[in-house]
Parts: sequence; C-alpha cells; structure tokens
Amino acid sequence: MRRGRTGPRDLAREPEPRQPGRILDARLHLLDRQVLDVDEVPVCTLDDIELELVDGEPAADGRIDSSKPVVIAALLTGPVLGTRIFGGRPPASRWYRLAWGHVADVGTAVRLGVHGADLDATWLERWTRDHVIGRIPGGTHDPEGSG
Amino acid sequence: MKSRLLTVALGVLTAIGGFLDAGDLVTNAVVGSRFGLSLAWVVAVGVLGICVFAHMSGKVAAVSGRATFEIIRERLGPRTAGLNLVASLAVTVLTLIAEVGGIALALQLASSVDHRLWVPVAALAVWLVLWRVKFNVMENVTGLLGLALVGFAVAVFLLGPDWGDLGAQLLQQVPVQESAAVYWYFAVALFGAAMTPYEVFFFSSGGVEDGWTPRDLATSRLNVLVGFPLGGLLSIAIAACAAIVLLPARIRVDSMSQLILPISEAGGTLLVAVIIVGLVAATFGAALETALSTGYTLSQYLGWSWGKFRRPAQAPRFHLAMILALVVAVGVLMTNVDPIAVTEYSVVFSAVALPLTYLPILVVANDPEYMGEHVNGRAMNLLGTVYLVILVVAALAAIPLMIATEAGG
Repeated sequence: MRRGRTGPRDLAREPEPRQPGRILDARLHLLDRQVLDVDEVPVCTLDDIELELVDGEPAADGRIDSSKPVVIAALLTGPVLGTRIFGGRPPASRWYRLAWGHVADVGTAVRLGVHGADLDATWLERWTRDHVIGRIPGGTHDPEGSG
Repeated sequence: MKSRLLTVALGVLTAIGGFLDAGDLVTNAVVGSRFGLSLAWVVAVGVLGICVFAHMSGKVAAVSGRATFEIIRERLGPRTAGLNLVASLAVTVLTLIAEVGGIALALQLASSVDHRLWVPVAALAVWLVLWRVKFNVMENVTGLLGLALVGFAVAVFLLGPDWGDLGAQLLQQVPVQESAAVYWYFAVALFGAAMTPYEVFFFSSGGVEDGWTPRDLATSRLNVLVGFPLGGLLSIAIAACAAIVLLPARIRVDSMSQLILPISEAGGTLLVAVIIVGLVAATFGAALETALSTGYTLSQYLGWSWGKFRRPAQAPRFHLAMILALVVAVGVLMTNVDPIAVTEYSVVFSAVALPLTYLPILVVANDPEYMGEHVNGRAMNLLGTVYLVILVVAALAAIPLMIATEAGG
C-alpha cells in the first residue's frame, strides 16, 4: 500500500528494517520479567541490563550513543527497588550480574542454563534457608513425598 | 487418575475464601437481616465478574505457567505494581486477621472456651498445614468440609418461607427503613467481596501448584464454573436465612453467633453441628487462602522462589513471609479488636487493588506471546472491559459511601 509523504523522510519514524531472528524490546520483553534457572526455580526479577560495545570495550563514562552497535553483556538484578520506584541510580556494587551467556531462552520468563543456587543473586534466599527456615523442624520435608 | 469430584476443589476453596470468609459470612447475614434479598442481584453480578477474570487468570497460568502477580509486575512495572502490592497485601492480611479470629470464634461456638484462647491455636494449626500438608490434600479437605455450609441452603427449605414474598424481595428497591446511601454502600461492599483480588492470586498460583498445562484448560474452566456460582449461591442462602428469620424479628446481626439463629430454628442441633463444621472449614480454608496469597504476591512481585509443591527450604522467603503474616495476625487479634470489623476497612484498599489487578490480566490474556492460540475471544474481552468499568466506578464510589454512611452504620 502506498502512503503519501508530505515532509522530508523522518528516519526516526521509519519502521526498522527487518532483522533476522527475533526482535526483543528491552523494556517489554526483559525488564521486570521473572528469571528462572535450569530447573525452573525462580531466581529473581530482572531490574536492568548492562550494555557494552561490540568490540568488547565497556562504554566509557557509562554513556552509549546510537552511533556504535552494542550488545547485552549481562542482566542485572539486586536490592534496587527503592531507586526503581523513586528514581536515581544505585552504585554499581548493588547490582548482581547474570552473564548474558547463561541465558538459555527469553520467553514469558527469562530462562537460565545454570543452577540458581550458584548465583550471587540468590544469597538472601540461601541465608534465609540456612539461618531461619532450615532450622525449623520439617523445613526440608518434601510435601509432594509420601508423608 | 484424580476423581472428577476433586478436580474442582481448587475452585471451591477459592470461592469459599472469596464469598464465605468470616467477614462475608457476617456481611451476608447483615444484608439479609436489613435488606432481605434486595441485594442478591449484586452477588449475581459479582459471580459473573469473578468467573470472567478467574477464568482468564487460570488460562494464563495453564498456558504460560505465569501466575497473576508476575504478570502484574511485568506489565505495570515496579512502581504501579508496588502500589497494587501494598493495597493487595493490606486487603489480604486484614482478611487473614479476620479469618484467624473467625476460626477462634467458630471454635468458641463449638466449645464455649473464650475465643482469645483459641487464637494462637488457630494460627498454629494454619501454619502447620502451610508447612507440612500437600497442596491438593489441603484444597480437597477444606473444599469438601466447607461444603457443609450447604446446610444454609437446606435451612432455607426447612424454614418453609413464603416463596412469593421472598421472590418479591429480589425485585424490591431500597427498603423503606434504610437510606439509599446505605443500600449502595452494602452493594459496593458485596461486589468488592465477590471480586476480591486474592481470589485470582490464589486461583492462578494454585493452578501452577497443581501443575496445570494447556491440557488442563477444561479443568480450569470447570473449577471456575462450579466454584464461584456455588460460593455465590451459598452467600445468597445465608442472606435468605437471615431475611426469613431475622428480618421480621428486627434482629440486627453483628456477630457470627447470630448466623446460627435461623439454623437452629430450621434444623435443630444436628443442622447447627453441620453448619459449625462448615464455618470452621470455611474460615480455615479462607485463612489458608489469604496466608498463601500473602506469600504468593510478595514472592511473585520480588521474583522469589515460591510454592507449596517445593520443600520449605527451597522456597524459604515465601514461607518466612507467611509466618510473619500469621504472627502479625495473632498480634493484632491479641489487642482485642473485633476481627470482623477489621475487614470493613479493606474496602478502601480494594478500591486501589481491584482495577490494578484485573487490567493486566485482561491485557495479558490478549497477548499472543503468552497465550498463543488461546488468546481471549471477543465476548470475553467485551465482558472483561465492561467489568473493568464497573470496577472503577465501584472503586471510586466505595470511599465516599463508606464515609457518608459510617461503614453502613
């Protein structure tokens, strides 16, 4: 279908050329998605992504412009709910990184190919298990088991 | 192979928590004793609404494996979803407080031991079930025992009312002795109770607990179509009992023990015993539902491991959240507040939580990425949209009505 154009071509309004593979919208398909590990155990919710330039250099001063292609280096999560709700930037030390290489699939959840128990992102889960829940009798009882 | 009867246990338990929890049991009797059956239409509207959205949330859970609060966080982002989380948790924990108090009150009816002594026992019993019992054993036992409340429907027939008179009440406008504002306050409260958000949290998460896949869509539909209409019918039966016995005698209901009056008149001690079993099971089931919903919503918003199908050590923060909620419930009840009065204020929080819960469900139920070929049909979307409008209107009206009528005065 032909569409009449009135002004000069506005590149920003042009649809992107079709790329091979799937197109993911970082906000829609990644942010705030549930992350599952290789056994389908929930790990965390995604809070941010870390981008780097294709040549492997981390972006100088943290800024990335559209002049050079970038790739996702890692998915980020962490105790950053405060800044996500009220704004601001947490220090880099607050983030837990999940290497992009560990991602097996991006669907209605982000699936990792590794065990969640080995990740930094789940330390509070392990702490609660070891110091609170695991100490209550029956804490390791399998509810789907025989008794 | 699970028996046909037990496959609907999840829907029945969910509906009990929505329509027949401690607060609603009393509200239904209050409504019956003051308005007769003139508000029964609200329950019917509420049943259809919760069926529409529970069906969508169950479908999303079965097809994509994602429970409702994961969707809410994913679609609304941390800020708006966080607001919903706070409001939903307030509704859920207030109801949990009322349920633990309600179990204690029901046990007091049966034992004549003061209800405050029963509170820690009740909370401990709830926790032991959460900690130890298989999900499907839990839903089957509480769902089946809760059915003892069918005794209210039996009582309606035993009382042998003037059916023409009762039918006329269905079409009646605001009774002369009540003001329109009070009538509409109770209409909004009944509607909010029917569509209370923890029902979809529990129903969708329960579907995940039961391991639903797209092949279980028929099971999900059956659960919805049996559970919620049954819950609605029983809540109308309670109102009818009150309308037949308490309305002519001008008895004002303000506690659970008055629920028993029409029953003992209709069926004597035997029926009272059956109803007490039902009351304990219903409040216990609602306590389980709200305690689990507390864990589900927090865990799904924050991305923690959750589920009763896992060992507690594999979902530690989920279990810790439920333990803390129960501790809060016992603490609040020990201050000697009236547990039923507490639930009246949950209407305020429902006003925020209801639209923010049902909108993302409707959006995701139309998203082919989640639903594939199972996206909503047109009729479902039309119903869902109409109900969203009703929800927003009810939400906006709830707080002014509550203030104007002093919560039904």
